[in-house]
Amino acid sequence: MSKAPLTPVRLAAVGMDQRQRNALRMLFTTQCNNRYVLMEEDSSEICILDLDVFGGERLWEEFRERHPDRPLILVSLKPGEIADAHTLFVQKPIPVNQLIAAIEQQRRLLSTRNKTCSQVESGAPHPIAKNNHQTATPQPGKKNTPRRAASLMSASKEKIFVGTSPDIDPKDPAQLTKVYYKPDHYLQGIIQQALNQAVRYNKNIAIEGPWPAIILDIEKHKIWVSAEERQLRPYCTVPDATLEVPLRIIEVDEASPIGRREFPIQAFLWQLALWASRGRLPHGTDLFQPIYLRRWPNFTRLVMTPYALAIAALWAEQPRSLIGTAETLDIPQRYVFAFYSAAHAIQLAGETRRAVDTLIEPPAVKPSQNRGLFGRLLNRLRGG
Amino acid sequence: MSDYKFIFSGPVGVGKTTAIGAISDVAPVTTDEQASDMTKAQKSGTTVAMDYGMIKLGDRERIHLYGTPGQERFDFMWEILTQGGIGLILLIGNNRPDPFSDMHFFLKAFKDFIGRSKVVIGVTKMDLTDKPRIEDYHLQLEDCGVKIPIFEVDARMKGDVSLLIEALLYSLDPGLEG
Repeated sequence: MSKAPLTPVRLAAVGMDQRQRNALRMLFTTQCNNRYVLMEEDSSEICILDLDVFGGERLWEEFRERHPDRPLILVSLKPGEIADAHTLFVQKPIPVNQLIAAIEQQRRLLSTRNKTCSQVESGAPHPIAKNNHQTATPQPGKKNTPRRAASLMSASKEKIFVGTSPDIDPKDPAQLTKVYYKPDHYLQGIIQQALNQAVRYNKNIAIEGPWPAIILDIEKHKIWVSAEERQLRPYCTVPDATLEVPLRIIEVDEASPIGRREFPIQAFLWQLALWASRGRLPHGTDLFQPIYLRRWPNFTRLVMTPYALAIAALWAEQPRSLIGTAETLDIPQRYVFAFYSAAHAIQLAGETRRAVDTLIEPPAVKPSQNRGLFGRLLNRLRGG
Repeated sequence: MSDYKFIFSGPVGVGKTTAIGAISDVAPVTTDEQASDMTKAQKSGTTVAMDYGMIKLGDRERIHLYGTPGQERFDFMWEILTQGGIGLILLIGNNRPDPFSDMHFFLKAFKDFIGRSKVVIGVTKMDLTDKPRIEDYHLQLEDCGVKIPIFEVDARMKGDVSLLIEALLYSLDPGLEG
């Protein structure tokens, strides 16, 4: 590593909130040996501007009016084309090495400018200015089959709960449409609607339709179904956009469990979401927005799909995008999508909304020094 | 021969001995004595030193499973038992008078160990009383800034105890292949 300059480079974070500034400050301190310091815009040499904040484009225009030639690093979740000799672009979440490379590039620009006072010519496009986004195009070496995860679930069950869809290229609109489903068009959405009503009015609800009778008992947090799972499943896997389902408020006595199968509400919804999604995502889910996990699912009482523990552990540490999660764990996307759809159905997972969560790329997973041992123990616990 | 260990802890009568027995390759060694104090109301025998079980991984590796005595007057044992441990499996009985207080007590007691390893929580005896719910335990921990796996478990079920340990392993290394 090159020797740190005696005087730190002065940077400003334009339009960023306090959390984002703190994240940058921590990054500069912990990973950049204090070579960079965050200051106010007026005192800075190089600025970083987040285009995704409200009015980001306008902030950029106003910044250029104030400082026509100040070195600037633009960051955004969307790929950018920058036609400006003083501006570099880095796509969010920001890979730390690319941010440092961009800062160093701008620092050299400043240094040259100061020495020669000559105008910097805009040459060939800088590699950083190109879209640096890692796409999910299937890689030749990437596995599209589970490594050993099927030990938790038979192949036939996996097909039912996760499907068999291959990875998609998220930049291809045609492929993108295949990855979504609309929960509202499935029994999943109707049960979610019933749950909302039951909570709102604190009443039990009967969900009546062509399927076997379903009763939601809000006090006991249970669902009663007058059929076996195999009889219910066909109604959960076929979409019907036109279906209007009356939700009837019922008295406690009607929710009698006689002759009915009992499910905890969350476990029931989780399973319905897996049946409906089959490795797809709720319509409109952003593949690149980091996903938070509110809390660990109660896995001992849920259908556990392959890699669910790994995904939960990863998201419990830090929000990560769906595509990024599949890449980090080197697993087919459908396992991530299935887990997200189920966790989202019971409100355990969702897209992050804080600007700081998309600012810096999550760090790579550091393998434990006992990884080999853990793997052998895992295999043993799973009956290997 | 390489040796590693997991620690099972929690209050009296939550199923530590049973959980170790559920996954151990050897008959668990227990040091139960007839309870002669308040513990007697909860179970006839109680662990006074430790429980011990083991999982063999081939001929060269052994995972030792140590259960701490549940009574606080044996807490001098806890620090000794955790030395060199990989992680903590904390069991909380849902039928205890104040399970949240139990949870906070043990998380605090093992704070240093958890800081250098990881913890998972298994809530037992939910068949006896289903309240508080698992969500309520999570709410109790919301302010501590960490997301701990908390599962409903039946300490007699090998699958439940195994899943707790699997979650612990993934918490230690999310990139673990499996």
